[in-house]
Amino acid sequence: MYLAADLLNANPGLIVWIAVVFTGFVLLLRKFAWGPIVSALEEREQTIANSINRAEAALAESKRLQESNTQARRKAEQEAQRLVRKAREEAEALRAQEVQRTREEINALRAQAREEIARDKDSALQQLRGEVADLAILAAERILMESLNAKRHHTLVDRFIDDLSSRKGDAPPYEA
Amino acid sequence: MLQLRNSTCLWIVAALLLPATTWAAENEDFDAIHHTADGYYLDFLPIGKWELPRIFVVRSEESGWRVRFWRSTTAALRSGVMTAEVHQETAPADTAREVLAPSDDHASSHLDIEALIESGKHLDAHLVPALESERVILDLSMTRHLVFALLAMAFLTAVFMQLAKRYQQGIGRTSAPHGLVQNLLETLIVFVRDDIAIPNLGQNKYQRFLPFLLTAFFFILTCNLLGLVPFGGTATSNLNVTVVLAAFTFVLTQVNGSRDHWKHVFWPPNMPVPVKLLLIPTEIMGLFTKPIALAIRLFANMTAGHLVILSLIGLIFTFGQLFGSVAGYGVAPISLGLTLFVYCLELLIAFIQAYIFTILSALFIGMAIAEHSHGEAH
Repeated sequence: MYLAADLLNANPGLIVWIAVVFTGFVLLLRKFAWGPIVSALEEREQTIANSINRAEAALAESKRLQESNTQARRKAEQEAQRLVRKAREEAEALRAQEVQRTREEINALRAQAREEIARDKDSALQQLRGEVADLAILAAERILMESLNAKRHHTLVDRFIDDLSSRKGDAPPYEA
Repeated sequence: MLQLRNSTCLWIVAALLLPATTWAAENEDFDAIHHTADGYYLDFLPIGKWELPRIFVVRSEESGWRVRFWRSTTAALRSGVMTAEVHQETAPADTAREVLAPSDDHASSHLDIEALIESGKHLDAHLVPALESERVILDLSMTRHLVFALLAMAFLTAVFMQLAKRYQQGIGRTSAPHGLVQNLLETLIVFVRDDIAIPNLGQNKYQRFLPFLLTAFFFILTCNLLGLVPFGGTATSNLNVTVVLAAFTFVLTQVNGSRDHWKHVFWPPNMPVPVKLLLIPTEIMGLFTKPIALAIRLFANMTAGHLVILSLIGLIFTFGQLFGSVAGYGVAPISLGLTLFVYCLELLIAFIQAYIFTILSALFIGMAIAEHSHGEAH
């Protein structure tokens, strides 16, 4: 029969056993288990910490790059807009200039044409005036053939012509 | 699913408790303390007992130092070299020593020993050399608790060597840890390192003590859990074992104590001299009370759990004997329910005590290795 006191029995043999075996156990595990395991854990933690640092640095770098890219793009866009505006203005100016020149040419041509028309009209009028005189003379000759001799005839014509030249533009009043 | 699992667990526990209870019913002197205390055998109730080897370092005037080894207690007794000194309670009216001591008549003494072996009480006996001139200097016999401590060590060695191999192969070093075992153990290892070692010992000094803290934590935890396994024994419910563990903490504390630590003990600063004289013995006592408290705390916690469980089971038979078998059966469900509850509590305590022993060890070592100026308040 065991007593409650037996739970507190001192057993020097057991103490020796446990002390020796546990010492060996600690040393064994320290060399072959805890060493490799803890160093592996530390290595992994270091790797993870480094990776995070690198990732953060890369992120910052990419943000910086993006920022500079955006700026460059904005600048390029502004430049392009400026160029387009300039080109458009130049084109506009060129067109206006062209229109002006065309208009001037047309005007010149028109003036020339008008001048020619006027000249032709003058010469036609001159011709017509000659024809009309001849026709008048012919008609008058026919009417006056018998009653007038050549001498009287000429006097009449001359007087008529003088009259014509003195009152040019009016319808010649026939007084004879 | 969860319900099913719970009820399955309950039945498994009940089934595991059954052999012990049946045996207890047949042998009315089922004794909780007997079960909890150490012994020179493994108890496979109800199948039987397996006796452990006996080793004695003896010394005699004639032949000097000798180591005697037997396969079992029975073998030691039958050899005639050792004889039994039985407890007063178990022995007949005359003292056992007188009855069992070898006399000139070898046959009669042999018979007595056979009778003792037959009764099964030889395992509780205290073995002494038959020759008066010979004395046992050290009884290095294997005990149940030693066997379970060795089992725990063997198990942990196998597990952690395997784990270390995994880390050396690169699993968990360069890649993520893989598998339940590695993740589980790594969680515990990192817990001991980050929540026990580093806060108490400091970032710079913890590496030196981490192997001991890890070993103590896993050893205590495994021993505690082995006590909850059927037919198991709890090495940590043996004061001899916990004293050794606490002695490790004590030695580490004193060997690594800083100048400040010793100054604090032998000439406490910032005090009037009379107070110093009062404090010095207190401080010296404090050096020893710390590890002693460590040893007793672990031992008492692990022992108490087992005693409570066995006492709760014992209720069934107490009621059965006092009020008849119907009362015994009536109490059984309540008793088993409470046992299951305490069993779960013990599972929790197994972890808590491993944690407490480790963190207090770290704390004591940390206090001793700390270097601080005494101008500041403590």
